[in-house]
Amino acid sequence: MNNQAWQRIGRQISQEWRVWRVGAVPGLLVIAVVMLARWAGGLQYFERTALDTLLRSRPPEATDERVLIIGIDEADIREIGQYPIPDRYLAELLQTLNTYQPAVIGLDIFRDLPVNPGHAQLLQTFRQTPNLIGIEKVLPDESGFTINPPPTLPSEQVGFVDAVLDQDGALRRSLLGVSAPSGEYRFSLTLRLAERYLALQGKMLENGKRDPIAFRWDDTELPRFHPNSGGYVRADAGGNQVLLYFRSGKQPFHRVSLRQLRAGQVPEDWIRDRIVLIGVTALSAGDVVNVAALPNSNPGLNFGVEIQAHAVSQITSAVLDQRPLITVWAEGWEYFWILLWGILGISLGRIFFHPIRLLIGLTMSSLMLFVLCYGFLLLGWWIPFVPALLVLLVNGASLTAILFYRHERELQTRLQERQQVIEQTFDTIHNGPLQTLAGLMRSHQTGKLAADDLSARLEHLNQELRAVYESMRQQVWQTDTAFWLNAELWLDLQLPMHEILYSVYNHTLTRDLPGFQSIKLKLTAFEAIDERRLNADIKQGLCRFLEEALCNVGKHAVSVTQLQVVCRTEQQQNVIRVIDNGVAIATLQNVNQQHQFNQAGRGTQQAKSLARQLRGQFRRSPHSPQGTLCELTWPIVHTKHLP
Amino acid sequence: MKQKASAPTRKILVVDDHESVLTGTINALRQHYPQVEFFTAQTASMAEQQVATARPELVVMDLSIPNGTGTAARTETGIQLLRTLMQQYPNLHIVVQSAYTKALVRLKPNINAHEGGFTIADKSLPLQEMLTKVDWALQGLVYTPKEMRVGLELKPEWLQVLKLAFEQGLQDKAIAEQMNVSERTVRHYWTQVQDALEVYPEAGKNIRIQTEMRAREEGLID
Repeated sequence: MNNQAWQRIGRQISQEWRVWRVGAVPGLLVIAVVMLARWAGGLQYFERTALDTLLRSRPPEATDERVLIIGIDEADIREIGQYPIPDRYLAELLQTLNTYQPAVIGLDIFRDLPVNPGHAQLLQTFRQTPNLIGIEKVLPDESGFTINPPPTLPSEQVGFVDAVLDQDGALRRSLLGVSAPSGEYRFSLTLRLAERYLALQGKMLENGKRDPIAFRWDDTELPRFHPNSGGYVRADAGGNQVLLYFRSGKQPFHRVSLRQLRAGQVPEDWIRDRIVLIGVTALSAGDVVNVAALPNSNPGLNFGVEIQAHAVSQITSAVLDQRPLITVWAEGWEYFWILLWGILGISLGRIFFHPIRLLIGLTMSSLMLFVLCYGFLLLGWWIPFVPALLVLLVNGASLTAILFYRHERELQTRLQERQQVIEQTFDTIHNGPLQTLAGLMRSHQTGKLAADDLSARLEHLNQELRAVYESMRQQVWQTDTAFWLNAELWLDLQLPMHEILYSVYNHTLTRDLPGFQSIKLKLTAFEAIDERRLNADIKQGLCRFLEEALCNVGKHAVSVTQLQVVCRTEQQQNVIRVIDNGVAIATLQNVNQQHQFNQAGRGTQQAKSLARQLRGQFRRSPHSPQGTLCELTWPIVHTKHLP
Repeated sequence: MKQKASAPTRKILVVDDHESVLTGTINALRQHYPQVEFFTAQTASMAEQQVATARPELVVMDLSIPNGTGTAARTETGIQLLRTLMQQYPNLHIVVQSAYTKALVRLKPNINAHEGGFTIADKSLPLQEMLTKVDWALQGLVYTPKEMRVGLELKPEWLQVLKLAFEQGLQDKAIAEQMNVSERTVRHYWTQVQDALEVYPEAGKNIRIQTEMRAREEGLID
């Protein structure tokens, strides 16, 4: 008992270990590989694409009333009939704007060189417009060129418009401050505009508290971009950059053309106390930027001035409206998050045992991950989606595959079990009621059946048939150590085989079969045999073999006087043999002799399969001078003697 | 029957879980065998221990006994004890006291192979019956009741002994040589075949001749 309990525990442990070996160890490996790929930068593209997608799919925000874009479009240029726009037009534009008293004006058009006519007029206007910010380009381009600010503007009225692009050419970050090659620290147009505007609201630009290099207004600190921020790996985080949390919606800002302004079609309160950005919004001018995060009829292409609007707006909205800015987790937490989803992927396989359910669970978890990432992004948190999804899906899917495989195997096992039950049921019926019925029919044919004998035997048959159910029920309970041969005989398989077989012999011979009636002498030898190759199944098979062999005598043989039953070892062979000296009924009636000896009936099939398993031989043949021999022999296992 | 125990070392073990039966049996046996030293055991494990240490010549045992003290008496336990004793002490004489002899059928291969005396005494029969069975067992005879047999059942070797003795008139020694076994084994075959033919000692009768008559009756020999 104790031993069995230990064996059971041992089996459970080894089973659990097998599950872990197929499920968890490769699962952890998958997590490690994905993490390594992420660390190596292999997932950057996918993570940024996912970020763009999530950003695009945000619900629309209201138009930011604080920012007005004056876009000089193709029609304006055609009307002016000259490009670059002559200084005179810009001067007039600025003068018009000044009448409406905007908070600050950003002139996102390079004016390092005079574009006549009207240069003097523009310089004059510059002097009269202290809330104007002009632009420059401070970082040298590929050819080493920079672009100077308008010459007369004081340095605090100048901001740069340099941008940092990702490898895919998309703009996702806003450069706010940078050390120029001259060594001087410069602010961007964005920062200048935001600084001016917020100063008017009483919010002064300060250094960050948590991050001293970051820009801060009151409690709003602009989260600085780091080389490994979010999905970025070893990115260029030079200067002071922030990720762009683009304003969603079809019309994030009011945008008007030069013509509309000159025609006085722009409402006054769109300009007064607002941030006004002037830029060229004509494709021919080429001031376009690739932004994947904005929904656009011309996907990815946005005018530079629009991006400036987004960049300024995200700062002012953050400070004044507490609108979120893109923030990321510390790297350790990101990897922990990935690990969690990987483990969830593995454990799905331990929770759901049915592959379809696992698939549903996997879909639900993926959906949950998406919702979480989306929800977090609405709050400004950019958390790892792609790597987490990857470990979840790979682990879950591989487990699904394994489960499908396991399911199929289980199905096969069940089918085999069912087949076994069918065979056992048939064996039970075959070796029991069918034998009785055969005996009954034989007696009937030979006309030796008395009426009350008939009813007694029918009653017996009735009992036997009813007992089949009981017997089958008991077989469900059968263990490795014992089984029911039929409804009456319970055999303990732990006993020596010859004892078990003797019980079978003894029990079978008490059955009411015609062939047994005439037996005068039984020569029996039940001695210990070599049991090393006998497992519980084979032991059962041997019992059924003997039962069947004896029943055949009782059923088919006529006028048997002597029955030999042997179970012992003879010349290095284990032998189970039944010999009768009767006249085989088939011979007597001269029918179906083939059937008697050759045709693979159910019993013969059983015996042959048993012989195969034991690497032995099954023989059924006529025995001289008369009778039938039925024999199963198999060799003794020779064990090697260890020195 | 004057089978008196003469050697002082003769020992008999009596196994029964009922104290009263135990004393009753021993009293009866003591009257019959005054020289014999008696041992008792009330459980199967105790019996095994006693046999191992005292090495008795004969064990008289109840079939329904407990395995250890405090456990219930079961026929299965007695059968297991029998199996063990027959396996470990092939020459031990055994008398089984039981009213339910059918349970012993499955031990028949073991009984047939057992070389010591083996008799079964029905507990419901008078005490004198038991004393006779003890006597037979001490002679090395085998007695099993009719209920344990389904018709005439012989081992092939026994039939051979019958044929060699009564068809060819061979003596045990010659039979042993013919069969390539020891004389002792031949004697063992005789006791077994006598039980199979239900031939038991009767006063004034020659058991070999009785056996021959029965064998002829059954058509075992010409």
